[in-house]
Amino acid sequence: MGISLDRSWPITVKVPVAVASLMLLVGFVLSERVLSRLGDTQGRHLIELSQSYLDGLSSAIAPSILREDNWEIYDAIARAQAINKSLHPIETIVTNAEGAVIAASDPKRHPVGSTIRPTPIGSKPLASFSFDAGADNANAVRVLSYPGRIAGIIYATFDTHHLAAERRDVVVALALTNGALTILLAAAGWFLVARMMRPVRILSEHLGVARETLAVPIPEIVVSKTRGEFGRLFRGYNALVRSMKEREDLGKRLAEEKRLSSLGRLASTVAHEINNPLGGLFNALAMLKSHGYLSNVRDNSLGLLERGLIGIRDVVRTTLTIYRTDNVARNLAPSDIDDLGLLIPPEARRKGVQIKIDNELRAIVPLPSTPIRQAVLNLLLNAVAAAPPGSQVQMTVVTGSEGLEIAVADRGPGLPGFAAKILTNSSAAPPPLDGGGLGLWTISRLIADIGGQIEVEYLVHGGTAIRLTIPILSTELANVA
Amino acid sequence: MGFGLNHRLDKRELLSATVSLLLASTVGAPAETTGAPIRFGLTPVFLTNDLELLGRLQSYLQRSTGYPVSLITRRTYQEITALLTSGQLDAAWICGFPYVAHRAELQLIAVPLWHHKPLYQSYLIVDRDRQASSLWDLRGDIHAFSDPDSNSGFLVTRAALAERSLRPETFFAKTFFTYGHRDVIRAVGSGLAGSGSVDGYVYDVVAELEPDLTAGTRIVKASEWLGFPPIAAPKIPIDEARLSALTKALWEMDRDEEGRVVLKMLRLDGFGAEDAASFDAIASKAALVAASG
Repeated sequence: MGISLDRSWPITVKVPVAVASLMLLVGFVLSERVLSRLGDTQGRHLIELSQSYLDGLSSAIAPSILREDNWEIYDAIARAQAINKSLHPIETIVTNAEGAVIAASDPKRHPVGSTIRPTPIGSKPLASFSFDAGADNANAVRVLSYPGRIAGIIYATFDTHHLAAERRDVVVALALTNGALTILLAAAGWFLVARMMRPVRILSEHLGVARETLAVPIPEIVVSKTRGEFGRLFRGYNALVRSMKEREDLGKRLAEEKRLSSLGRLASTVAHEINNPLGGLFNALAMLKSHGYLSNVRDNSLGLLERGLIGIRDVVRTTLTIYRTDNVARNLAPSDIDDLGLLIPPEARRKGVQIKIDNELRAIVPLPSTPIRQAVLNLLLNAVAAAPPGSQVQMTVVTGSEGLEIAVADRGPGLPGFAAKILTNSSAAPPPLDGGGLGLWTISRLIADIGGQIEVEYLVHGGTAIRLTIPILSTELANVA
Repeated sequence: MGFGLNHRLDKRELLSATVSLLLASTVGAPAETTGAPIRFGLTPVFLTNDLELLGRLQSYLQRSTGYPVSLITRRTYQEITALLTSGQLDAAWICGFPYVAHRAELQLIAVPLWHHKPLYQSYLIVDRDRQASSLWDLRGDIHAFSDPDSNSGFLVTRAALAERSLRPETFFAKTFFTYGHRDVIRAVGSGLAGSGSVDGYVYDVVAELEPDLTAGTRIVKASEWLGFPPIAAPKIPIDEARLSALTKALWEMDRDEEGRVVLKMLRLDGFGAEDAASFDAIASKAALVAASG
């Protein structure tokens, strides 16, 4: 057919176009057959009529042609043309064997004695009849011969305008019928396909929504109305959406557990931090009890007690801060970063790692403090865990042109590839099933939720730098200002 | 001559002609007929292809004469002349030329009056658009004659050529006979013939009845006035009573209603008794032609 259906066209267009193309093809073939048969019939009919015309004329002029009786032949032609009106003879010419006109229906065009069409072309005998379908006239030739010699030749031309007109009428009728049928069937095709494809459209719309946000189940009222394959498909899709939702919820729950577990880790560190100096503090108390009268012992013990209690106060305060901020949503303040500086050092000291924090934050930033602090705390704990003893973990916090930028760098062996992938995967990927990298997944989700981005950089001299970039909306900045 | 299918002949005319003929044979015949019918020969000196005219003529003659009447037509003048001179016809409407040729065997019984005179002309006709002013401009033509025994349709032109010692077959490239004046007009009008010799009376009547037929032609030259084609009978009548009845019917045609209808159709005023001397001009032409060999 020569029409290549564009793959991007919707099926509601493709099917009608295909139907229309097929109809056109069928219409063309049928029309061709009809016209061919019509041409044959017209030609046969014309041959029969013209032969009967020539038979009649031949018998009328046979005696006169040998005498070359111009008048008798002319009169016979005139009578034959008048009688055979249905054949629409235009012109009839009778010549003698040499081609000289004896008489013609229009003697002014072919005067007596003038020569016409003297010999047949080449060796081919004179075609007794010629008619082209759709032509305006047809020609017939009859050679009148008596045994041994040609007496004369009749040339007749018939008007076939009416046949051509009939043919044109048929062509027009065929074109109109086929055109109407094609349009009708294409419209029917469009209507049926649109109707059949409606469930697919509903499904694809829902899937389209799912690509942008979370998958939404197809409303139950639509599903209950749809029967058969599409009904099953809809129910299957809704089951899929439900299972995705469950997985999403599971992920959230896991993240929460992870947060709690990290808090648990922190609590044990806190307990450890409190417990460690407790032994010393009890010793100091014992020394005060036994040798409190000695001023140097008393001063030493009190100094020891004070330092131990200060350490415990700091730890407790930080822990309190965590709980307090968990319940009230507020914007990120410079003190939030400073608090981290208090939370991490005990763990760092335990591992023999130095912590360096460059906090350039000078004012409250319109960003939620809880997810940022949670994410950064996790990053720092990971960095400390990865860093070899004696090395330094460095954190810088700045507000740049793109928003809040937080970088955590360590000198560890480098973040494994799969872990970096979990971290930087901003799309709503499900949490790792084996639980490994759950902390990183949690960071990724927390940052993605507030529109931030995470980059992982492997440092030249070993170690990893993880950079968080969180855009600050200017309107909110303006509100803050 | 046979009744060629005239294109003017439509169903109505055919029907009325048939009715006329039926009436003629059923009403006219049984009342007064006692003997053989009057056999009346006709030649194409007038429009013999008008069936209604023939029917009315027959009807009138039967009623007027009291005899059954057979109208006898033949293709050529010669056949009618032969029937007449051999006593097979009571009378015949022939041309002046056969009459003068057979004057010894024939007697005049009536001569038609056209424009109140027993005279007519021969016309030399050509295509309407052709430049020609006399017979001498027609040299080398294909020329249509009416009948070799026709005065107006052959003898006049033949005699005009003979006056200059010319002959049709050499003066003209080709000649043919149509055996009917109306067909001479058709032949010239269609272009089959370049020129033709035709009866002036027939030409004028055709011009009035079928103007389309003469529209393509024009008259180059009209001859002098000559004796109108007469009605002649054998010198010794076959049956005296029948002949006198016929003669009387012809002479009194203008006094009868049906007769006047026939005359009107013929565009004639009536039939009169004329002196044979009115055909002397034709006789001299015949003599000239005969002398030229």
